[in-house]
Amino acid sequence: MMLGRAALRNVLRHPWLTALAVVGVALGVAVVSAVDLANAAATRAFLLAAETVAGRATHQVVGGPAGLPEELYRTIRIDRHFRACAPVVTGHLQLVAPSGSTTFQLIGVDPFAEPPVRSFSSQFRQQGVLTPLMTRPGAVLMLRQTAAGLKIRVGDRVAAEVAGRRRELSVAGFLEPPDEVAKVGLASLLVADVATAQELFGSPGRLSRIDLVLPEGSDGERQLAELRSALPPGVTVVPAGARAGALDRMTRSFRLNLTALSLLALVVGMFLIYNTMTFSVIRRRRLIGLLRAVGVTRREIFTQVMSEALLIGTAGTVIGLGCGILLGAELTRLVTRTINDLYFVMEVRNAPLLPAALAKGCLLGVLATLAAACPAALEATSAPPRAVLSRSLIEERRRRRVPLACLGGFLLMSLGAAFFSYPAGGIVGGFAGLFAVIIGYAATIPAVLLGASRLLRPAMRRLFGVIGGMSARGVAVSLSRTGVATAAMVVAVSAGIGVSIMVGGFRLTVQHWLENWLQADVYVRSADNGGGRYRPPLDPALVERLSRLPEAGGYTLSRRVRVEGEGGPMEVFSVSVPRESFLRYPFKAGSPAAAVDSFQRGDSVLISEPYAYRNHLRPGDRVTLPTDRGRRAFPVSGIIYDYGSDTGIVIMSRSCYLQNYRDRAVDGMSFYARPQVTPARLAAALRRRGGSAAISVILNAELKSATMTVFDRTFAITGVLRMLTTVVAFVGILSALMAMQVERARELAVLRAVGLTPGQLWGVVCGETALIGVVAGLLALPLGIVEALVLVYVINLRSFGWTMQFSVAPAYLLQAVLLSVVAALLAGVYPSIAMARTSPADALKEEE
Amino acid sequence: MRRLSLAITVLLVPLVALFAVRRPATVAKRPAERELAVGQVLGAAPEAGFLRAGAPRTFRFPADHGPHPGYRNEWWYFTGNLADAGGRRFGYQLTFFRVALTPKPPQRASQWAASEIYMAHFALTDVAGRRFRCAERFSRAALGLAGAGGNPLTVRLEDWSATETSPHPWAVRLSALDGDTAIDLDLRSLTPEVLNGEGGLSRKGSRPGDASYYYSVPRLATGGTVRVGGQTYRVAGSSWLDREWSTSALEPGQVGWDWFALQLDDGRDLMFYRLRRSDGSTDPHSGGTLVAADGKAQPLRLEDVQLESTRWWKSQKSGARYPTNWRLRVPSRGVELEISPRLDDQELAGSFRYWEGAVAVRGLNGSPSGAGYLELTGYPPPQIRRP
Repeated sequence: MMLGRAALRNVLRHPWLTALAVVGVALGVAVVSAVDLANAAATRAFLLAAETVAGRATHQVVGGPAGLPEELYRTIRIDRHFRACAPVVTGHLQLVAPSGSTTFQLIGVDPFAEPPVRSFSSQFRQQGVLTPLMTRPGAVLMLRQTAAGLKIRVGDRVAAEVAGRRRELSVAGFLEPPDEVAKVGLASLLVADVATAQELFGSPGRLSRIDLVLPEGSDGERQLAELRSALPPGVTVVPAGARAGALDRMTRSFRLNLTALSLLALVVGMFLIYNTMTFSVIRRRRLIGLLRAVGVTRREIFTQVMSEALLIGTAGTVIGLGCGILLGAELTRLVTRTINDLYFVMEVRNAPLLPAALAKGCLLGVLATLAAACPAALEATSAPPRAVLSRSLIEERRRRRVPLACLGGFLLMSLGAAFFSYPAGGIVGGFAGLFAVIIGYAATIPAVLLGASRLLRPAMRRLFGVIGGMSARGVAVSLSRTGVATAAMVVAVSAGIGVSIMVGGFRLTVQHWLENWLQADVYVRSADNGGGRYRPPLDPALVERLSRLPEAGGYTLSRRVRVEGEGGPMEVFSVSVPRESFLRYPFKAGSPAAAVDSFQRGDSVLISEPYAYRNHLRPGDRVTLPTDRGRRAFPVSGIIYDYGSDTGIVIMSRSCYLQNYRDRAVDGMSFYARPQVTPARLAAALRRRGGSAAISVILNAELKSATMTVFDRTFAITGVLRMLTTVVAFVGILSALMAMQVERARELAVLRAVGLTPGQLWGVVCGETALIGVVAGLLALPLGIVEALVLVYVINLRSFGWTMQFSVAPAYLLQAVLLSVVAALLAGVYPSIAMARTSPADALKEEE
Repeated sequence: MRRLSLAITVLLVPLVALFAVRRPATVAKRPAERELAVGQVLGAAPEAGFLRAGAPRTFRFPADHGPHPGYRNEWWYFTGNLADAGGRRFGYQLTFFRVALTPKPPQRASQWAASEIYMAHFALTDVAGRRFRCAERFSRAALGLAGAGGNPLTVRLEDWSATETSPHPWAVRLSALDGDTAIDLDLRSLTPEVLNGEGGLSRKGSRPGDASYYYSVPRLATGGTVRVGGQTYRVAGSSWLDREWSTSALEPGQVGWDWFALQLDDGRDLMFYRLRRSDGSTDPHSGGTLVAADGKAQPLRLEDVQLESTRWWKSQKSGARYPTNWRLRVPSRGVELEISPRLDDQELAGSFRYWEGAVAVRGLNGSPSGAGYLELTGYPPPQIRRP
């Protein structure tokens, strides 16, 4: 009890230090739990939506890019007497409201076929929902809560953007979910009659898929085999869970990376705690010795230090969770946007408070605090009773430990390096290695500091006289304090450097890639981007019209589709490309000249780098694709750089696509200007000829900058995390150095007493912190660069399969050093002011 | 006319059937809601634009066996008593309901667009096996999933169908399959079509236009196969077809009906329905038809018939009680019959719960015996009995 009060008193005696430590923990916990919440919210939203939409379906009949012929449904249901099946036509659209547009998935169903598969329960208390749903074009059902959020009532007409066209929907009624889980899944869903869905998506005669409910066991296997035999080529049956699983896998790397970056913030936070607790123990070594002498046991001392830490940890965790929840909502938006840009269309209506994520943040915050406080607590118990260890003795002991710590650090770093050379370790292994390197590096810092202090002392003395020399010596003399503070700073600053270099290099890589990849002068595609990466087809008549434009010297037709394979969806990009453009494609393996003929003939395909990485393919290997003519293996004639998709794409010539898929649609065109025709003139001509069609005509430069905008948007979340880590770092530096100087109060008072003026005192204090700032900033550079190297060559490669250029922009480095120096100087201000104001006599009084 | 309400519920039943499968908790509540809703729909005026059965019309056969678009509801109602060579008795019911959602078919791009929906019920009673199987289906009239065509008649819902095979004498083939139960029957009419009510115009209520066109083919020689429980039986027997179409609504206050379709051994056929009102009384619009052996039909008014229930059976599944045994007398025509079910449990537990089954008919005091079908509706389970 008494010890508990002592802990509380000690925490409260230095409110500034305590506050900074709490802030450190809070920020770490906030970042971790916000990222966790955002990831969980996104995952939950798309898994629940997928599950709810799949219902009790065990399998799905899927076809090529254009879906299935609707007659197949009749064949299965009537001719094959298989009645546990339901047709589905699905796609995305945007409801347009004055406040902005919202993306929805629309699922078109046959209400009479639904009962075995789905139960979007509805009591339809108002009469006559079925009649308008089936007979009124554009009639949809939606969740009552969603409707309320959009201020829509039953019977209202709502404008929607569907496949680039403005359509009018009417709300025929509400979906009533059977439970809360389904409610989440249905939040972004509109349900319509299958006829309405076909009309909205312009796909009369086609179904997206047919859902099946097969019994388990041998009965189901037999029925499945029977069904398979009835399917035309190009149509397959896939397990219903495969798709949701594939979506989950697709984004796993992305989410894992975010989590790891958030953990980096926590690690920095842990250094703060470590720092604070170590100081608290060192400062009270005399008291602890006294307590031991009056019979307080080691265990009790340990408990006291740990309970202090727990106090700080708990306060930090609580505040951190609160901030995490606020931050989580914003991050959820960013995560969702990135998933939309990179992977698939989804919408998260709100970030729910997920107890699991919060509990994890809570546990992590408290455990991290206790773990960080552990060394300090052990140090406290090692004080012998009534041993008034002289300060110099402690420092001496510390210095003796330096080589040991240094050795340990090197060992840890080698361990990390071992992780990197073991590719099977995957992303987790990569991050484990990264953390090992960071901590190992931190452990060597006191040694470096010692060396630096010795080296710099003559220079400092020459530059700043006695005060300068004192500052330099101070750093080495009080290594117990400066070592930890510097290490904390280095870890914090380097994290910012590493992430900055990685993102910067990636950006540069993408820019170079775009130069090679986007060669045409003007690009035309549908104006609708509700489908994310996939654009709705252009009107065939329009394609025909545009392809005869006199201003164009050449054009390409392209189509990007997702085909449903057994292992989940895969992206196929088909293009009719001029030979000379093909020859300039950014090949990673294989050569354009060797590949061009077989590619154009349709005898081979190209694959993107991530696809090759994920599937362990090289030129000469084969990729098997589900086509409308059944499964076919295509030889790979080259691997090209592509940064558009981390799941990878297969690229084939348009003739190859037309041979294998019954889909003549074109969703993108690009045009080369004739000599003497400027791209702008060509674009104007295209716009004229396009007339009222909802297309976007984009100049090469505009497309490049638009792509970079998407890139920046994708990395916005990384930027936010980097910023937060930097804030933690700043707080870390501030707190570490402030703690150090506050703790020196008595020593500084002695200096005052022997005649140092307040101005000279400022010089000593600020000189010391500045020195630490500079050293920390400089020491952070190599670690930051190493971190960037690991992120680029280990983490990114293992996560996404991308190789990217590595370029170190001096600006990032300068920024990092500046950050640490500024923070260090700021940290010196408060103790200097405090000391200057206090009379030396007061300060000299015993603290205990 | 008895089936009018049943058919109108088609408008509402899907709404319940659609989505309520996984919610057993609401099952008990559902019929009450539905009946409430039926009452609302019946009380409501039908959408403008539908044709009404207002005046007597000239029936033309076989064309009138086909659908009558423009009217909101229409049905083909086949029931029959069959037996195999060894005397094993079967009863069957195969009914198709057409319900128009809008008076005119919409002009839309999708083949799925439909303005009509179909419901069908299929039931088979295996008397010796003490088995009763029933199934219910819904579909839209589009894409060949369901629909009806005129001359010659075809009406189908997925793989259940009734297809005309000959115009004179009128013959039709019935085919239905659900799980281990199936029928494949050829029906040939032995009597001409009988127009019920006033020359085929059957009044429903006091308001003008509250009527339907209603005819029957009371005796069709039937042969073919039935399959149940993995065994196929070659059977022969006699069927009854009821046909009705209308746009009208029942009056509020009518809660259910007891309907008899009986084929007597002396060649006469008797159809009678008793409409029950919510106060327990018999509705004055109740009535029937007695068809002589030569095919001449005479209407039966309520006061011509004495009807008395002699036994009630309680369903273990729903808890509802049904009067399954009856004594029916038409004193002026020398008819006195004791009616008993071939099997107690012939309750159809679809989205609309009712009892419809094969019955044995024993003549008393010199009256001829026979066989037939009995339909009992509006007997709700006890917990939802109306106040």
